[in-house]
Amino acid sequence: MTRRRLAFALCLLLIAAALCAQQPAAKNRGEMPEGNQAPGPGMSFARDVVPFIKANCVECHSGEEASAGIHFDKHLGDGSLAKDRKTWARAVRMLRAGLMPPEDGPKVQRATAERLAAWIDREISTVDCTGPRDPGRVTIRRLNRVEYNNTIRDLLGVDFKPADDFPADDVGYGFDNIGDVLSLPPLLMERYLDAAEKIAETAIVADPKPAGQRFEADRLRGGNQQGGWRGLYSSGEVYRSVEVPQGGSFAVRVRAFAEQAGGEIAQMELRVDDKAVATFDVRAVENKPDVYEKTLDLEAGRRKIAVAFINDYYRPDDPNPGNRDRNLYIGSIEVSAPAGAKADLPETHTRLITATPGKDRSTAACATVILREFCRKAYRRPPTNEEIDRLVKLVLMAEKNGETFERGVQLAVQAVLVSPHFLFRVEADPGPKDPGGVRTISEHELATRLSYFLWSTMPDDELRREADAGRLRKNLRAHVERMIKDDKAQAFVENFAGQWLQLRNLDSFNPNRRQFQRFGSILKAAMRRETFLFFGNVLSENRSIFELIDSDYTFLNDALARHYGMDGVTGPEFRRVELPEGSPRGGVITQASVLAVTSNPTRTSPVKRGRFILEQFLGIEPPPPPPQVEQLKEDGPLTGTLRQRMEQHRRNPNCAVCHKQMDPLGFGLENFDAVGAWRDKEGDEPIDASGELPDGRKFNGPSELKQILLGDKADFRRCLAEKMLTYALGRGLEYYDRCAVDDIVRAVEQDGEGMQALVHAIVASDPFQKRRGKLLGEN
Amino acid sequence: MTPVGLKTISRRTVLRGLGTAMALPLLDAMLPSLALAAPAAKKALPKRMAFLFVPNGIHMQDWTPKNEGKDFDLPPTLEPLADVKDEIVVLSGLAHDKARANGDGPGDHARSAATFLTGCQARKTHGADIKVGISVDQIAASKIGHETALPSLELGIDRGANAGNCDSGYSCAYSANISWKSPSTPNAKEVDPRLVFERLFGGGSGDERDQAKKKRNEYRKSILDLVMEDAKRLQAKVGTADQRKLDEYLTSVREIEARIQNAERRPAAPPADPDFKKPGGVPRELTDHVRLMYDLLALAFQGDVTRIATFMCANEGSNKSYPSLEVPEGHHDLSHHGGDKAKQAKIAKINRYYVEQLAYFLKKMRSIEEEGQPLLDRSMVLYGGAIGDGNAHNHDNLPLVLAGSAGGTYATGRHVRWSRETPVANLFLTMLDIMQAPVNSFGDSNGDLAELTR
Repeated sequence: MTRRRLAFALCLLLIAAALCAQQPAAKNRGEMPEGNQAPGPGMSFARDVVPFIKANCVECHSGEEASAGIHFDKHLGDGSLAKDRKTWARAVRMLRAGLMPPEDGPKVQRATAERLAAWIDREISTVDCTGPRDPGRVTIRRLNRVEYNNTIRDLLGVDFKPADDFPADDVGYGFDNIGDVLSLPPLLMERYLDAAEKIAETAIVADPKPAGQRFEADRLRGGNQQGGWRGLYSSGEVYRSVEVPQGGSFAVRVRAFAEQAGGEIAQMELRVDDKAVATFDVRAVENKPDVYEKTLDLEAGRRKIAVAFINDYYRPDDPNPGNRDRNLYIGSIEVSAPAGAKADLPETHTRLITATPGKDRSTAACATVILREFCRKAYRRPPTNEEIDRLVKLVLMAEKNGETFERGVQLAVQAVLVSPHFLFRVEADPGPKDPGGVRTISEHELATRLSYFLWSTMPDDELRREADAGRLRKNLRAHVERMIKDDKAQAFVENFAGQWLQLRNLDSFNPNRRQFQRFGSILKAAMRRETFLFFGNVLSENRSIFELIDSDYTFLNDALARHYGMDGVTGPEFRRVELPEGSPRGGVITQASVLAVTSNPTRTSPVKRGRFILEQFLGIEPPPPPPQVEQLKEDGPLTGTLRQRMEQHRRNPNCAVCHKQMDPLGFGLENFDAVGAWRDKEGDEPIDASGELPDGRKFNGPSELKQILLGDKADFRRCLAEKMLTYALGRGLEYYDRCAVDDIVRAVEQDGEGMQALVHAIVASDPFQKRRGKLLGEN
Repeated sequence: MTPVGLKTISRRTVLRGLGTAMALPLLDAMLPSLALAAPAAKKALPKRMAFLFVPNGIHMQDWTPKNEGKDFDLPPTLEPLADVKDEIVVLSGLAHDKARANGDGPGDHARSAATFLTGCQARKTHGADIKVGISVDQIAASKIGHETALPSLELGIDRGANAGNCDSGYSCAYSANISWKSPSTPNAKEVDPRLVFERLFGGGSGDERDQAKKKRNEYRKSILDLVMEDAKRLQAKVGTADQRKLDEYLTSVREIEARIQNAERRPAAPPADPDFKKPGGVPRELTDHVRLMYDLLALAFQGDVTRIATFMCANEGSNKSYPSLEVPEGHHDLSHHGGDKAKQAKIAKINRYYVEQLAYFLKKMRSIEEEGQPLLDRSMVLYGGAIGDGNAHNHDNLPLVLAGSAGGTYATGRHVRWSRETPVANLFLTMLDIMQAPVNSFGDSNGDLAELTR
């Protein structure tokens, strides 16, 4: 490998300022002597930042093969930091994390780096927060699968999860509710249409008049089918099993005729569940069949309705051919609805169909009443007259086609369920031509945002009422508290925490069964449940967000307690368990669910675990390894425990740069195997769970690691706030959101660090309460 | 440098135009087929085109035949194709330059899937403004899709990602999809065999009478007209990003409308194989799942329900383990083998496993006859991925096999090596020509692959 190539490979790993040392002299040049060029309050971009970057960074971060896609050459030309806030924010993080400049690069003093970072940081954040703030602009959001199912459940009371057949929603920024990412391909449209039909037909009965059930010969059993008839040539029966939805008085009608012989009239016995209930003389003949009717009581349930031929006669030697054979023919059996009874209408039907046309009420008037109420809920705002009129036309069209009123309403409901106003959460811009205009979102839009944030579903009656009255914003805090108390807030736990902590990946986590024999679907479900219960508790009890890092309790059942090696928990039900002194558990990082999803199927992955903590808890995104790195020749075969092998790997300076940040965090969790069970040894080698962070802080084992994480309160607070804000808004955060995040973390800190404080602060924040008219720069 | 204002206008124009651009072929589709078919009295047998994707690269040492030309050998990974050796072309040397970083840093897996059928550079984004390019299957679908009940069929095994980052700053949309309806709309794939069956051969209620079905379709059309009006009115009230989403909506509605009209002319027929039962859902065993999807694909082609399909054997970057192959490790973890022989052997096992399933499909396609000709001969089936070696993450010398000869358009039973850096997009250009859906250029194409047909 040439020097140039080595230098290139090295730089690939570096995110921000780096000096690709080609000769020792360059190193000295990169060093910034204290008190000379040291950045201070009077710094300027041109005088201080530009020379620093030019000296240390540009060589790698420029041109065709710019490291990490960062082009400092371009950024410097702008003359200000404001145009590339994202890049500079990354530079700040890297400088502060001690990752830049790299170990083998220039020795920039820590204080110097910190001062430069602080100045840049100030430059890119203070600028925004003093002036008018940009609340951002959420792209119109399609309901994702969970939201669709929940919304249908609450809108219609139909809980058959139609969205389970929808294609998967794509994920962006770690969540599946991001407007920009949720697309609508034809396949999904097709499913929406199918689902709307099924839902409307389940919720509304198209023909609510009690209708009889009529079975023609081909749907009856017994006898010999001949054309439209079933013939009974000897004793026997023709029957049918009939579902009786509700008990009562029914008329059973049998269409029949007979061929007579031998003096007697053909006799037909009507039987219910094999018990005779009536007998008829069937005098009707083939060219003039008759209907034989009996009114009787039927109990609800599946009933066998049969008609039997009970007086067969057969004399083949009778000289009169017309007197040889007596036969009975059945054409149909009909069971009419109970006299005077109403059809068994589903609750949804009676709730939706609040008016039916009659003498003094027109179809249009009734449809208007029904659809206005339905659309208020479905569109999550009062519908316009024009919208209702067009739907009513659909009902009228159906009527013209000879359909029932209810069928017409079915069609209108279908149309509502595939309308963009239902499928998307629309926040229409009153002034789309006003590029910079910022507006406070309407009360209904706020109700909708709140409801999908905390419940993953549409607003309930109370939210809607309050929004109608314009009182929602005034009593916001009380509403949020009520919503958190509601059972529906479980959706927030499952969808936010489930994605933030990547628990959804448990579904597809299949560790090697031979190594992890105890692992199975029961344990998997228990793992997930522990984390949901724990997170749910932190939320509902308004516990400190730092309990997510460490706590003195958790939730266990017998299976999980056994997995954790803890005694005294019996039975499959979950309960709160106080953790003994010195327990390595507590907090979510040491829960089996999180430990498993950050493992490989056959072994732990300290890298994945370290990366997980960095990304999900500290808000630092380390870059993945550049592919060339692994092609570098190792000095010899790697031996020993996983940790020892990884340390050998890390001797390679190309790997070390990032791994010295990730690996120690993961090493601290090495006492937990790939399914989160405690272990003291790996094979025959004892586990070494000590680690040293790039800044020199040392720890040994999970408990000390958690103490270190608790020392970085600001990082975790900000990270969690950013994740939750992303989820709440359904969009990725932009540089200008920094002001809002600053406000949120400040509020959380002042409000006692509670989880509910975080939720309140997010709900109160500008990006949640407001929106920009249009993207700046759009026309 | 373009002034910012101008740049935005042009981007917006493009985005707005997109809806119309995508709609045009569908307008064609709405014409009665008779009008289209009338002049062409002699009807040639239709050709079929399928793209089958495998993730994480291939252990190329066990893949690439040593010999070129007709006398080529089948290395261990390709060995399962011995039975259909005369019906395949092994393509070596082709490259997807746009799957490379080109300044965007890491993320080769996301780019592999995104570029595979588009030949375009995916915009690096977690979510805002996802953009790559229209995929080759969708270009074909837009031109000839109206001739069948379904313009195209998108199949897969894995649902989209559940949570977390998919690949180094790329949205999961990139690694979970290979078919792109527009540069910003991935075509979601169907993973449940039951739902695929219902789409192809109609729902369970097969006894719905024609009259009732006709009425239902009429109502569906009225409903779609109504909501289309909703969307159009809404477009006037929202900004660009929202308009793009509503364009997606409108495009999809139009396509469904065209499909309803299409279905009236060609009512869904039961599967050609009367013994084939409607699947109950996703099978437990991977092999059963993969084969069932291949069965359905073959049935779709056989019944001429569609002529264009894509199938993802797994999502790109998949970390699935293969216990039945004695590979308990995750596929993606293994693919970063670092030269470890044992890991490479396991990668080769997974590679071979998927080639076995491919062989199953190709043999099935060969066993089905259409007017005396094996269906396979009427088809073009491209199998492979856009990563060469999983460790190197290279995007040149890609593992690709083309099966079937599209009605004898080109000679099969050979191994062809193209000059280095020949874009895969050139192959797509030629394939589109063969499907009679020609375009002047595609992705990063710099010519066609006419040599293939010589």
